[in-house]
Amino acid sequence: MTDRARLLRWFGPALLVAALALGWILPTPDVLRLATPDPRAAGEMTAALDALPDEANVLVGFDPDLGTYAEVRPTVRALLADLLDRDAQLAFVSLTAEGRALAVSERSRLEREGVDPSVVRDLGFVAGAEAALVDLAAGLSDRYDGIVVVGGNDLGPRSWVEQVLPRASGVALLAVTPAILLPEVRPYLATGQVDAALITPGEGAAYRGGLELEGSALLESREPSVLAILIGMLAAVAMLGQALGARAVATLRGTRARDAE
Amino acid sequence: MSGFFDTAPADLVATWVAAVATLAVLGSLVGERRLFSWSQHLLAGLATGFLALIALTDVIGPRLIEPIAADPAGRPELWLGVALAAVTAAAPWLPRPVAALPASLAIGTLAAFALGGAVLGTLLPQLDASIVRHGGSPAATVGGAVAAVITGLVLVGFLHGVPRGRLLTSAARAGRWLLLVGIGGWLGFLLLSRLVLLVDRIGFLLGDWLGVGR
Repeated sequence: MTDRARLLRWFGPALLVAALALGWILPTPDVLRLATPDPRAAGEMTAALDALPDEANVLVGFDPDLGTYAEVRPTVRALLADLLDRDAQLAFVSLTAEGRALAVSERSRLEREGVDPSVVRDLGFVAGAEAALVDLAAGLSDRYDGIVVVGGNDLGPRSWVEQVLPRASGVALLAVTPAILLPEVRPYLATGQVDAALITPGEGAAYRGGLELEGSALLESREPSVLAILIGMLAAVAMLGQALGARAVATLRGTRARDAE
Repeated sequence: MSGFFDTAPADLVATWVAAVATLAVLGSLVGERRLFSWSQHLLAGLATGFLALIALTDVIGPRLIEPIAADPAGRPELWLGVALAAVTAAAPWLPRPVAALPASLAIGTLAAFALGGAVLGTLLPQLDASIVRHGGSPAATVGGAVAAVITGLVLVGFLHGVPRGRLLTSAARAGRWLLLVGIGGWLGFLLLSRLVLLVDRIGFLLGDWLGVGR
């Protein structure tokens, strides 16, 4: 490895982290907006929440994964705050260990912010994957008015649609998932099996923007930095361009060398 | 800000531990592998410990021991579960057909639920939705037709080892390219997720740990 390559290998990532840190510190210009201009998903979520009865009993299937939770966390917190603002009674259940760890953190955060523990009940971790969901579905429509699935892990909205909905019809199913699950969840929205879902960061931002809960301690204290995300995206595109360019140059040189022979 | 930690002394310690672990992981970007390797071991150890803890506190205690202690004769299915767990533990000393029984039961049951759910919850409703209906909007008709063609081509792309004609080979090649395009789009979402995670960690270091912008 040449000195230049070694320097680039060391400085490149350090420079990227420094640029992202700068992007995080600097205020995001007004021209950059995370919220999608299409308010359909946010509107569907609000309409689905409006359709729930007063003091609704909502089962929260909390199974995000650690790798993508940062992406959905502001939206999850906003949705929980919205539900609590509507006097909903929440019951948290997790089917994965990661989901359980994050559910414990979020529940203790809610309690720390003054939420009555009796309205954020803990059903704990349920072992058994699909079989556990089948067990949960028994009598679920008598006990709950809606289900909110926070996805990201193996047992996300798809598992709830497949295992719970056929056994508990009539219960509204809402979902918050990272964008990576978009191809999986969109078809269920189209068929109406999932009543509403916030999938992309833009949809989440549009939903958060429409809430009237300013100053609520239950919300994330700071919106995701769009400037930092844009800097990261540009760096990724530049790296992709550099890799493709290097490959094109190598191919061209190889062709020329063959022609010269 | 993550908001997971408060200002109590225990939360302060937790913030510092999380910050040091984050720095150790970010250190691998500039070639510091030893600390990164320790942080991986720490994560593996914590995950194993947490799994053991929730197995004891959320499963074995409340769903097995407590019901059996309350009514030993009234829950025969739990005794069956205990017997299967004992068979699993004694597997090295048991005949293979007996030792394989618990794992076979678990896999068979999960496969039955997963397959049944996939057919009833996904396959049939999605097939029903993709059928082009008379009187539907032109956009829905075109969308359904395109989805059906893409699905067909990708499925053909998975055909291996069967005699093919020129048409089928071309269709399979198109299917594989469409699959690659799909995977490319999926990787784009993955990049976004990981980028948001990196920005969030940097935000944690700056905001929660160093107090910038608080």
